[in-house]
Amino acid sequence: MIVAERKPIRRVLEAIEPYQRVLVLGCRGCVAICSAGGDREVETMAAALRLARKRAGRPLETGEATLIRQCDPEYLAPLREWADKYEAVVSMACGVGVNLIADLFPEIRVYPGVDTTFYGANTALGEWQEKCRGCGDCILDLTGGLCPIARCAKNLLNGPCGGSQGGRCEIRPEVPCVWHQIYERLSARGELDRLMNFFPAKDWRPAGHGGPRDRIREDLKMDK
Amino acid sequence: MAITIGVLCCHYTNQAGEEDFQGIPGTVIVRRYPCSGHIEVADILRTFEEGAEAVLVAGCEAESCHNLSGSQRAEKKVQGARKILEEIGLEPERVRFAFLPRLDTGPFMQEVKKTFEIALTMKSKS
Repeated sequence: MIVAERKPIRRVLEAIEPYQRVLVLGCRGCVAICSAGGDREVETMAAALRLARKRAGRPLETGEATLIRQCDPEYLAPLREWADKYEAVVSMACGVGVNLIADLFPEIRVYPGVDTTFYGANTALGEWQEKCRGCGDCILDLTGGLCPIARCAKNLLNGPCGGSQGGRCEIRPEVPCVWHQIYERLSARGELDRLMNFFPAKDWRPAGHGGPRDRIREDLKMDK
Repeated sequence: MAITIGVLCCHYTNQAGEEDFQGIPGTVIVRRYPCSGHIEVADILRTFEEGAEAVLVAGCEAESCHNLSGSQRAEKKVQGARKILEEIGLEPERVRFAFLPRLDTGPFMQEVKKTFEIALTMKSKS
């Protein structure tokens, strides 16, 4: 899932400073699952904004809604009706939702209520860890399913680095060295030969370094 | 100087009635929940919006919560609410959590009184 974290309330207050009627808009996709932008977080954000503004002597009126997703135009359709009622929208979705609202509704002033952080897994209650960086050229078939791009602080393709000590990362010793893990995993499977070839320098264009990426499936497209 | 406090509590922490709150020289907003684990950060913030100067969240002692971890979750929600209060420039100590014995109104009312004292201090500072 895409993992996000609530923005500091002060930042959101600054963004909506000129407005008196604001819609706090949640998303029931990834940000709801990682407890950053679902129904509960919408309630909390809205209450915090109202309370802060009330104490400042400038009461704020908030609307609260949560959409099934904010990354699909069809689910954003209700915004067309709500836009007249509010001066601004605080989107609790990931940056994708904020961008899509901005693309589809140029007249709506939309501000982020969360910081989008990474693609991660829910590894324990209240804990999420980065597992993928969306680099667009997956090599997990060669590394025992463990990603050196996302899980190595140096994104090394031919690790481990010289700083790896006792199977721990030198940057954050609480994090296991993923290259140590890859070696152990492949060794246990008798598949160390997968590491006999050097990985060539990575082409980072599919990772977004060639500009915004898109994906097209012609069979799903419909002529308008 | 009119003072309002909020009390969000698990129903099983006390049997306090109207007469018990008459000794508190202010307004007490009381909300009872089937378990303190049900109390959300937003519920706490909304109580402040209603005018409470301080809020008490009361749950059962950890080992006697009939939902096992409800009161421990509630304590963490209070920590979350404190963080938000701090972010918006309010004193975090305005909201507090108390683990209380089940259905014992005495300790509950003591915590209510302590919360009122905090509210009084906050009001006099503002």
